[in-house]
Amino acid sequence: MKEKVELIKEHVFDAIEQKKPLKIVGGNSKAFLGRATKGSLLDVSDYSGIISYEPTELFITARAGTLLSDINNTLFKYGQMLGFDPPNYNTRTTIGGVVATGLSGSRRPYSGSVRDSILGIRCINGLGKDMSFGGQVIKNVAGYDLSRLMTGAFGTLGIILEVSIKVVPIPEAEMTCSRSMTKGNAIVKMLELSGQAISLSGSCYYGGVLYVRLSGNENSIMATKKKIGFDTDEQGVNFWDQLRDFKAPIFNSEKNIWRISVPITTVPKIGDSQFVLDWGGGLYWLNSDRAPKEIFDMAEEVGGSAMLFRGYDQKQEVFQPLTNGLLSLHQGLKKAFDPHRILNPGKIYASL
Amino acid sequence: MNFNRFREFLPSGGVLLSEESKRVYECDALSAHRVMPGCVLLPDSVEQIQKILSYSYLNNIPVVARGAGTGLSGGAMPHAEGVLLSLAKFNKILEIDSVQKTARVQPGVRNLAITEAVKSFGLYYAPDPSSQIACTIGGNVAENSGGVHCLKYGLTIHNIMQLKIVTIEGELITIGSHAYDSAGYDLLALLTGSEGMLGVIVEVTVKLISKAPHSRVLLASFDDIEKAGNAVAGVIANGITPAGFEMMDKAGVRAVEDFVHAGYPIDAEAILLCELDGSEEEVEIGLKKIKILLKQYGAIEVRVACDEAESELFWAGRKAAFPAAGRVAPDYYCMDGTIPRKHIAKVLAGIQILSEKYKLDVINVFHAGDGNLHPLILYDVAIPGELKRTEDFGSEILQLCIAMGGTITGEHGVGIEKINEMCIQFRDDELEQFHAVKAVFDSKNLLNPGKAVPTLNRCAEFGAMHVHRGEEKFSELERY
Ligand SMILES: Cc1cc2nc3c(=O)[nH]c(=O)nc-3n(C[C@H](O)[C@H](O)[C@H](O)COP(=O)(O)OP(=O)(O)OC[C@H]3O[C@@H](n4cnc5c(N)ncnc54)[C@H](O)[C@@H]3O)c2cc1C
Repeated sequence: MKEKVELIKEHVFDAIEQKKPLKIVGGNSKAFLGRATKGSLLDVSDYSGIISYEPTELFITARAGTLLSDINNTLFKYGQMLGFDPPNYNTRTTIGGVVATGLSGSRRPYSGSVRDSILGIRCINGLGKDMSFGGQVIKNVAGYDLSRLMTGAFGTLGIILEVSIKVVPIPEAEMTCSRSMTKGNAIVKMLELSGQAISLSGSCYYGGVLYVRLSGNENSIMATKKKIGFDTDEQGVNFWDQLRDFKAPIFNSEKNIWRISVPITTVPKIGDSQFVLDWGGGLYWLNSDRAPKEIFDMAEEVGGSAMLFRGYDQKQEVFQPLTNGLLSLHQGLKKAFDPHRILNPGKIYASL
Repeated sequence: MNFNRFREFLPSGGVLLSEESKRVYECDALSAHRVMPGCVLLPDSVEQIQKILSYSYLNNIPVVARGAGTGLSGGAMPHAEGVLLSLAKFNKILEIDSVQKTARVQPGVRNLAITEAVKSFGLYYAPDPSSQIACTIGGNVAENSGGVHCLKYGLTIHNIMQLKIVTIEGELITIGSHAYDSAGYDLLALLTGSEGMLGVIVEVTVKLISKAPHSRVLLASFDDIEKAGNAVAGVIANGITPAGFEMMDKAGVRAVEDFVHAGYPIDAEAILLCELDGSEEEVEIGLKKIKILLKQYGAIEVRVACDEAESELFWAGRKAAFPAAGRVAPDYYCMDGTIPRKHIAKVLAGIQILSEKYKLDVINVFHAGDGNLHPLILYDVAIPGELKRTEDFGSEILQLCIAMGGTITGEHGVGIEKINEMCIQFRDDELEQFHAVKAVFDSKNLLNPGKAVPTLNRCAEFGAMHVHRGEEKFSELERY
């Protein structure tokens, strides 16, 4: 494995010398995300394997190319899982890609995001320096939190080699319940549920139905179900999996697919677009051919941010534009990690 | 330096220049390190902070931000030629949104004041450092502070959504949002725990949590500290996430018991305090399970608090641990390493050996659930040489933590205190990356200079005496 790291470094040095950027890929299951980039392919998928996993310590360390499915299966054997519910778009999804894109599934409001679970990262920056930040313990404040900074940075700050991630116990029991209602009622209901001390692990409005997932032990779930007056939904497990893995029918569309994160108490003006409202009211998925600028403005109006999740033009900006102050900090950080701009340049914003 | 210029835009009483008035700002809770600040400024509006910073930037004046000064690593220790920027007047809660479950607060608001203000909505702010009566949310963000309930509810970073900061150039920038995800790099994570090195935090939006309807504490005693350490790992491996999971050794139990009479068993070698929360039923079932587990791991006695009052009494003992240490010795020095849980017993044994080597007693209280140790070294500053011996002892404990795969600081920060140990935990390339990040925010190195990240020169000097990453150190101990 040592040679593989050396090889990756070589690629970086060559790229610097030839002034030719690198396009970093793991399983390439998320190629449709972000902006289009040019460069020589740097495939890190064969830098793989679980390095360390001890159930008592509640963390797993794996090389970036390790398949998400391998990690999920390993954790499952010990009754544990990744808390942030990462999407598995196809069988080639790697853990490096999961961390680099920072996308979390429906459990996110209840058990945290990818970055919430990150404990440490080993990476190679744009100068070919092999560095480790964070570690394998839950509490660690030595140095700036660069492992979390790198989470969701789409490989623009460093090539992720290894990650240490916190894991959580799989809930003893789970049940999905549902009830048909209007959008307005669903939003009110979601807020009402989030205000109660009940063990939710999903809350999503889709196609006129509010789906709620309860976690905990058998008895407490039954008690909660009775209290909220929903019906058991036998298709429940499938519902969440399809939504997370981008396979729900709404995604089967010719239109642009947008992912918009908003404060749960706001209602963005989505018009008559087809939508799913997940995260207890905090995440809209939209099918829409409205101009990107209109969608960004709509998100901004409510203090949220939009991402053109699957679009047909990856040359334009696909992420919510940043304020000038933020953009200049981003540009500075890009320079601090990758002064030659060889790591996925332009992947998230044209100027990064 | 002519600090009088600040009077032009600060309210009267907002500029302190006399020795007498500056004295209380000389140090934080790491009182062994003191510096008289050039001046102390007490602004009361964000605009004033912007002016202070842009003036300081233009005139190359160092600026050290300060919340309540309860920091334990010298983070808020002033600069002799610089401004000590107190956020004390920023003590207002700006907005509580009980539906969104957020509160927007000024940085000088005390941690506990947030929970008090939202209590009537059945909500609370989860991170609860033992210093919560006094410490400020701005300081909490700057240190990424933790508390007793972090095992289940996370650290400061997991419980905030948005920050407003003022850069050294005086620019006001909003980071994060009231939505779950925000665009761009995770600057919220970068700023959290950055020890006042990257910007001055002028507003914080915190997440609030619904109070669990039920909670209960149990107390388990052990005749062997190793068994107690293994019990902690065992409970967690069994899929239980207690809301709090604390451990105390015999010396700690005795000091506390003398002080607050919490009913702790003074003959035990170690005790564990474990809190469960949730619905009444969840707590009942969980307690049953834990009781069986703890017995399996060798607990000689397991006592479940019979009601809220007894739960509080059990906690009172833990919360009084620091002051109790203060009663048994003239001074104590609080360390803050984190280690993998499985090495708890081994590290405690290592600390015992060091205690004999340095001829200094030590009390161990800590957040066992997350492997965060707080050895309290007992000493007397009046005895010549004892402070130095204490600091050397502390440094060896931290190096032991690194050797065990842990870290030199779990929640108290590096500050000035652990700056040398940073050279052991990180390599030059990594330190250089930290400096590069710092320069993005603060190209002139004016914000809290000399703290948190050592210069490579400093490390080179320190390195002459030490070997990197604990290699060669503790050769008698097995390595992982
Ligand atoms: C008895 C006792 C018990 C403690 N228990 C715990 C515990 O359980 N858990 C824990 O994590 N900590 C604990 N601490 C440590 C301390 O209370 C925390 O680090 C706390 O967060 C510091 O807050 P403060 O307001 O006192 O900050 P200060 O000490 O004033 O400052 C701390 C650091 O933050 C910076 N800073 C402060 N405000 C700002 C701002 N607005 N913008 C930018 N930078 C700023 C300062 O420059 C400094 O580097 C304890 C301390 C004591 C004395």
